[in-house]
Amino acid sequence: MRSLQREPGVLLALLAVIALVLAFIVYPQVKVLLTPGGTYVDFFVNGNWKNSTLHSLEVMALSTTTAVALGFVFAYAMVYTDMHWKPFFRIIGILPLLSPPFVVAASYVILFGPRGLITYNVFGQTVSVFGLGGIWGVQTIAFFPFAYQLIADVLSRSDARLEQAARNLGGGTWSVFRTVTLPLSRPGLGAAILTTAIYVLEDFGNPALIGGTFTVLPTQAYGLISGFADLQGAAAVSSILLVLALVLYFAKIRLDGPRSFVTVTGRASSMPRPPVPPVVSWACFAACLALATVIIVVYGAILVSALTVAFPQNQTFTIANFQYITSGPNGVALQNTLVYGLAAAAFSTVFALIAGWLVQRGTWPGRRALDLLLILPAAVPGLFFGIGYALSFNEPWLDWLDRGVLITISMIFWNIPVGYQAAVSGLRQIDRSMDEAATSLGASSLRGLRDVLLPMLGGSMQVGFVTTFVRAVTTLSVVIFLFTPSSTVATIRIFQLVNDLNWGAATAFTVADIGLAIVVLGVIALVARGRVSLGGARA
Amino acid sequence: MQDTKHGYDRRTFLKLAGATAAIAACGGGVATTSPTPSGAAGTATATAAGTRAAAGTLNIYSALNESTNNQFFAAFNKVYPDVKVQVLPLAAAGELQTRITAEKASPKADIFIGGSSEFHDPLGKQGLLEQYVSPNAKDIDAKFKDPNGYWVGWYTGIFGFISNNDRLSKELGNKKPATWDDLLDPAWKGKLVFPDPVKTGGGYIFMATQIFRFNKDEGKAMTYMKSLHANIAQYVPTSPGALSLIDQGQFVGCPNWAHDILTEKGKGNPVDLSVPADTGFEVGGISIIKGAKNLDAAKALVDWSLTKDAGDLNVKLSNRGSTRADVAPAPGSPKLAEVKLVNYDRAWATDNKDRLLKLWQQTVGL
Repeated sequence: MRSLQREPGVLLALLAVIALVLAFIVYPQVKVLLTPGGTYVDFFVNGNWKNSTLHSLEVMALSTTTAVALGFVFAYAMVYTDMHWKPFFRIIGILPLLSPPFVVAASYVILFGPRGLITYNVFGQTVSVFGLGGIWGVQTIAFFPFAYQLIADVLSRSDARLEQAARNLGGGTWSVFRTVTLPLSRPGLGAAILTTAIYVLEDFGNPALIGGTFTVLPTQAYGLISGFADLQGAAAVSSILLVLALVLYFAKIRLDGPRSFVTVTGRASSMPRPPVPPVVSWACFAACLALATVIIVVYGAILVSALTVAFPQNQTFTIANFQYITSGPNGVALQNTLVYGLAAAAFSTVFALIAGWLVQRGTWPGRRALDLLLILPAAVPGLFFGIGYALSFNEPWLDWLDRGVLITISMIFWNIPVGYQAAVSGLRQIDRSMDEAATSLGASSLRGLRDVLLPMLGGSMQVGFVTTFVRAVTTLSVVIFLFTPSSTVATIRIFQLVNDLNWGAATAFTVADIGLAIVVLGVIALVARGRVSLGGARA
Repeated sequence: MQDTKHGYDRRTFLKLAGATAAIAACGGGVATTSPTPSGAAGTATATAAGTRAAAGTLNIYSALNESTNNQFFAAFNKVYPDVKVQVLPLAAAGELQTRITAEKASPKADIFIGGSSEFHDPLGKQGLLEQYVSPNAKDIDAKFKDPNGYWVGWYTGIFGFISNNDRLSKELGNKKPATWDDLLDPAWKGKLVFPDPVKTGGGYIFMATQIFRFNKDEGKAMTYMKSLHANIAQYVPTSPGALSLIDQGQFVGCPNWAHDILTEKGKGNPVDLSVPADTGFEVGGISIIKGAKNLDAAKALVDWSLTKDAGDLNVKLSNRGSTRADVAPAPGSPKLAEVKLVNYDRAWATDNKDRLLKLWQQTVGL
C-alpha cells in the first residue's frame, strides 16, 4: 500500500472504517459505562467478582484447549485426508454454530441430565451434565466450529510444495506434520485460539442453563442487569471480560512473533499434497464420526421433539407444532431472521475484508488500535451489546430509523471479529509481491485488493459470511432489547415458547430456523459453484 | 405507520362527533365490562370521555405467558374495537424493566403489563411511569395497589411446590413438604432445583417470604437459605425452566408458581402441586409508561384489566388468581384466602430487594 496521501480512495475507506467502528462498537459501550447511578467501583471493591473471574478463566482454559484441538483434527481431516463423507462432515462442522438459545442446551439436559434419556435410560448412570464438566463438554462442541473454520481456511491455502519438499528430503508423515504443516497453520491456530477463547469467555447460554451453581462472568452480568437493573455493575463485569480479551490478544501477538507465514507467492503451484497414510485417514474418519454422532443425537432429539406431542414424556407423532409455528406472527419472524441475517453477513464480510486489508497491508500509525477494536466485540456479552445499542440509538431524532436496520447493524458489529480474523490471517499468507505486482503496473491499491487479493480470499470471506450469518440467525441476547413487534425474529419466538413451556413448538421453531439457515447456506454454495462450500474448507 | 394515521383519523372523527359518540362508546363499554356500581357513575362518566373513547395504536410490553397474550388482548379488542393492539411479548419482566429504563429517551411502549409489582414499582420511583388511578381500582383491595398510583395489581400468584410423582414416591416416601422447613431434610439433597432469586421474580419472592416467616429476622432467614442451598442442585435462570426439569424427572422438586404448576399438571405431566404453610404471593401489575403516545388507550386497557370479565378470562387462561374478590379462582388452585400466607410486606420487600439479594449472594457464596 502506498502512502495514504497519494491514494485518496484508501484514505476515505480508512476514515469510513474508523468512523463506523467508533459509532457502532466504541460509542454504545461508552454509553453503558456512563449510565448514572450504578456501582462500577463498588463492584470491584466488594470483591464478588473474584469467584466468577476464576470460574471464567478455568472454563476458558478447558474449553478452548479441547475445542481448538477438536477443530484442528476436524480441519486436518477435511483438508488433508481423503476420508469418506466429507460433504456430510461439512454440515456437521457448522451445525453446532446453529444453536438457538436454550433449546440446544435443554436438549443436552434431556439426553444427558440426571434422568437423561441416554445417561440414565440407556446407561443407567445418574452422572449429571450440570456443573463445570457439563459446561466444558457442551462448549467444546459448541465452539469447535470456529476453530475448525479458521484453521481449515489457513490449511487449505498452505503450499503443498513445502510438504512435498519435506517428504522428498525423507521426512515421514509425522515429522512433516510436526515441522511443516503445524508451523504453517500457526496464523490459523493463533486466530482460532484467540477467537475460541474469547467466545468461550463471553458465552452466556450454556453456563446459564447447565452451569448449576457455577457462576461465570457473563451469567453474573446477566444477574446484575436482570436482578438489580445495575448497568454499571454489568459494565464492570464487561470490563473484566475486555481486559481478559486484551491479554489474550497481546499473547497472540507474542505467539505470532515477527515471522512470515507467506505460503501464497507469485509462483504457480499446482502440486497435489503428499498423500496421507490410510491409517491416519481412517483414524480421522473415526474421530469425526464420533463427534458427528454426538451432534446428530443432540440435534436429532430436537427434531424428534418437534414432531411429538410432549417430548420426552409423550412421544406421540404430530405435525401440530409445525402448523402452529407457521401461523400468526411466526412467519414474519422467520422472514425477518432471514433478511437481517443475510444483510448482516454480507455487510460484515465486506467490512471485515476492507478493515483487514487496511490493517494488515497498511503502514499507518494506530492500526494496532483498530486491530484490537475489531476483536473486542467478541468479548462483549451479547446482552450488553444490545443494551448499549438501546441506550445509544433509542433517541427521538433516530425514531425514523427502522428497527430492522438497527438490529442488522448490531449483528454486523457484534459478529465482526471472526470475519476480520479470517481476513487478516488470509492476507498474512499472501505475499505482498502479489498485490505489489498490480500496483507497480499502475493499478491503485484498492484495485489490487479487488482484482488480485479478493479472488484469493474467497475462503476467508466465506468463513466471515457463514459465521456472521449463523450467529445472526441464532442470537437472542443482542436482539432482546432492540426488537419491536414488526421486527421480531425467530430466537425471540423460541425464547417466548420455551418460557411458555411449549417445548414442541419451541423445537419446531428451532428446526425451522436451522433448516432455513442450512438451505440458505446451501443455495449460496450452489450459486458460488462450489467455490464457497459449507463449513469452510475447500477440501 | 399507516395504522396509526388511520387510527388518529378515527379518533379525530370521534372528537368531532362529540358527546354522542363518547357516550355511546361508554355505554358499550359498561354493558360488556359490567359490574360498575352506579355510585361511581359520576367519576366513570367524567373520565369516560377521555378513556372509553380510545382509538389508535396501543403499544404493549407484555410479560404475560404466550398462551395468555393472544386471547386476553383479543378480548380487550372486542370492547375497544377502535384500538389497534401491538403487543411486544417477552415473558421476562426483568428484561422489560431494563428495556423501559434503557428506552427512556424515546419510549417505545404505552403499557407494561404482567410481571410482579416488584418490576413495576422501581420504574415508578424512577419517574418512568405515568400516575393513573383507574375508576375501577376502587374494587381492588389497597394491599394490591401502589399508594402513589404508578401501578395497580390485577392478578395474584401463590408460591407453591412442584414435585415429580414417580421420584417423590420412590425416593422421598411420597412426602410432600408441609412447611418450607421440610425442604431442609437431607433426603432432599441434590434433588431440588430453584429459580435463581437474582434472575427471577419468583425466586426473590420466595426468599423474601422466608424473611417474613422469621419476622424480618434476616439472620435466621439467611441461615435457612444457606441450609437450603446445600440441598439445591441447580439454580435455574427462569421459573418455567425449572418446571420442565421436574416434568422430565431430572430433579424431584422445586418451589415455583402454583398457577404454572397447575398448568403443567393439566397438560398431563406426572407432577403435583402442594402449598407449604406460610408461603408468599405475587401481585401482577399493570402500569402506564411515561411518555406514552396513546394515553387514552393505555388508560382503557388499565380500566379493562381491572374488570371482572378480564379477571375471569385471565383465571381461565393462566390459572392465576384475581385481585378482585368477585373473581372465582381456577378449579384446583389454592385460594388466596384459604392458604396460610406470611405477612408479606410488599413495599419493604421491593425497597430492600437489592440489599437482600446481595446479602443472599454473600451468604451462599454465589
